Amino acid sequence: MGNSINQAYGLTALLPIRHGAENNESFDKILRDKLQAFSLLETSPLAKVPNTYLSRAFILNDVFYEGAPAIEEHLANKYLVFSSNFHGSLDDYLQGMWEAISGLLQDLLCHCVGFQAVDSAKAFIKYMKRCQVDNSLFFNGSNDKSLPEQLKALYVKQAFIHFAYQTQHLRMQGEEGAAQLQAAFQRFVELIDIDNFDGPSWPVAATEVPAFIEQTVSAAISGEGVGS
Amino acid sequence: MTTQLDMHDIQGNIVFGYGKFGYPVGRYLFFKFSNGKKARQFVLDLMPLITTSAPLQAQKRGRGKDSGDAQAAKVSATTNVAFTYGGLKWLGLPDQSMRSFPQDFRMGMQARKAILGDDGPSDPSHWDPIWQRPGDVHMFLSINAVGPAQLDARYAEIKQRVEQAAGGVELLTGHRGPAGKADLEYQAGRVVTVDGKPTAKEHFHYTDGISDPFFKGQSKNDQDLIGAGKPTGGDPATKAGWAALETGEFLLGHRDEAHEYPEAPQPRLLSYNGSFMVYRKLHENVGKFSDYLTRTSEQYGSSGMSAEERRETLKAKFAGRWSNGAPLATYPSYEEAQKFGKAWDAAVGTLFFDPSATEKQKAAARKEYEQLKIKRRGFDFNADLSGARCPVGAHVRRSNPRGALQFGRKGAFETPGALVDRRRILRRGLPYGDSSDRASDDGDHGIVFMAINASIERQFEFLQQQWLNYGNDFKLSNEKDALLGNHGKDAEGNPSGRVAINGDAETGQPPFLCAGMPRFVETRGGDYFFIPSLTALRMIGEGIVDPT
Repeated sequence: MGNSINQAYGLTALLPIRHGAENNESFDKILRDKLQAFSLLETSPLAKVPNTYLSRAFILNDVFYEGAPAIEEHLANKYLVFSSNFHGSLDDYLQGMWEAISGLLQDLLCHCVGFQAVDSAKAFIKYMKRCQVDNSLFFNGSNDKSLPEQLKALYVKQAFIHFAYQTQHLRMQGEEGAAQLQAAFQRFVELIDIDNFDGPSWPVAATEVPAFIEQTVSAAISGEGVGS
Repeated sequence: MTTQLDMHDIQGNIVFGYGKFGYPVGRYLFFKFSNGKKARQFVLDLMPLITTSAPLQAQKRGRGKDSGDAQAAKVSATTNVAFTYGGLKWLGLPDQSMRSFPQDFRMGMQARKAILGDDGPSDPSHWDPIWQRPGDVHMFLSINAVGPAQLDARYAEIKQRVEQAAGGVELLTGHRGPAGKADLEYQAGRVVTVDGKPTAKEHFHYTDGISDPFFKGQSKNDQDLIGAGKPTGGDPATKAGWAALETGEFLLGHRDEAHEYPEAPQPRLLSYNGSFMVYRKLHENVGKFSDYLTRTSEQYGSSGMSAEERRETLKAKFAGRWSNGAPLATYPSYEEAQKFGKAWDAAVGTLFFDPSATEKQKAAARKEYEQLKIKRRGFDFNADLSGARCPVGAHVRRSNPRGALQFGRKGAFETPGALVDRRRILRRGLPYGDSSDRASDDGDHGIVFMAINASIERQFEFLQQQWLNYGNDFKLSNEKDALLGNHGKDAEGNPSGRVAINGDAETGQPPFLCAGMPRFVETRGGDYFFIPSLTALRMIGEGIVDPT
């Protein structure tokens, strides 16, 4: 089974969508409309699910016909395909997902076959496992650390780059510069609070360097106090 | 089997960087067509003037057959032509041929600005007036000459033919020149003079144009191969370290590095021995560059270094070469580079500028000169993978990694350099303008840059987009080339380019971070051109191109 590599797990689940319609709109259309209305990156509801490295959902309409001499085949249902790479065990991840976005899941998945009976984390885990497909290929693009630890590492790296840019001139200023550099570094270490994964850190799913990092590093270097 | 190319069929600018072959002055002309018949006749009228890739001595008019006499005088002025997609349409190429040109060429340079990073001050809205109506530029013509008189004479010959084609061919004006005038009818080019001497330098005073790719069939002189072919894994200071690139990387109709013919327009005779050319007028902000380098280098180096040494060393780190052309990979220290410079100046002085030198002295100088030339080219980065000598992001290393991106010889690729060997370009062109005021960005000075390649998208555009304006392939995140990168501005409008210079454990030099870097080079115009062979040029002129 290729579902996990060390602490990284790759979930693929195919959730069958019921046949039928509501207000002259088929269920799969209703589902797709809702999915496509999701906002992206840090505002995506999936960013609220703990330990998510990367996840994706789409609707599989049918199997693809490759052209003759292949045999033309069709699926009995349309499927919501959900795939996710995350840190930790499948049970913990799905538990966390239910706790974070159960309202959204119920609204979204009510048109999937058999989902009506899902009303608890336990039932949700059971349902998703029934829909799970084992991965034959799983590329883990992340390291083996938890998401909060990885985000903290990103933050520290970026903060240190700012520190280096802003203090390298002190190297040329003799002993006075060395003392200043040491003091600045002590304030920097205080600022980054390296063992605290809760903060300060890189915001979940942010793809642009947040401005606060440079601002707080500058303030720490100049001794203006560690900003919040 | 040895590749035999018909040099008489290949336009000369593909094989010769004329500036290096004793043609220090040039003019670049652009034409608009408005009558297909007259335009075709104009092309035919120009044919006797077109310079081919055959030895330049053999092309002297009136000499008749190739005498093979190396001492013979070479042709005193050269002429080459190329066309835009719009130009070929006016010349009446059949629709089927027109549709067979690659997308990059069909779109032209302005439409590719997002790929090229031509934004901010490089945006086409700031280009010279001639480029403000890109649909009007149909034909490119270059003249290179041994001196101003020969340049004028050839220019007059061209003008005469333009007059004959009146009503169908117009020489476009709108090149910006010195003194703020933007109505010139040609773009002038000339080598940069420093202290009264002609040099191979561009306006930042780096020695330029040292390395160009070497392809199969290009030259019989296999010494030219060193540092110019593709790396074999052998000693880079010798011929064993390099193999000629496949001809099809630079000439259409020939086998390329993918072991196939490059994508080319139909019929085959239209593209065979032809190529694609990128023309770019690149302005150099000499004032910004000088100022930034002086200011930033104050923080660079160690306390024992003089201001000049700091400045020159940081300048070399940007380029990967010292101002005198010595590569950092071979000459990592200021002293060694100075020594190289002295040896080079002495050899060149005796060889070219000392009328009192004896034959024996000249022979010795020539030997030294040839060896130093190989020293300038015959290197790689294998002993310097961390960039301690030549930074990983230095200009010459980005634009020609010389095998530095090969991660071992075992693994997925049979030839690990395969991807890099498909990103080489022939660089042509000349500096333009005057930059004697070293504190100013104003005025009109820079480089007329031309790149010749079989695929603009795969070669030139890839280099520009991925290797100069981005850093991921070198594990440099989104860092840009210090010299050519399109550095931007922060929210307050301050220059925000950042470049990291790798540290050197051996000398104890820590990594150095350059921040607040402004854009040193800005695009001022250009387009994409097709360079036909002599055969194709005649067929275009005669209107007999037939793709069926």
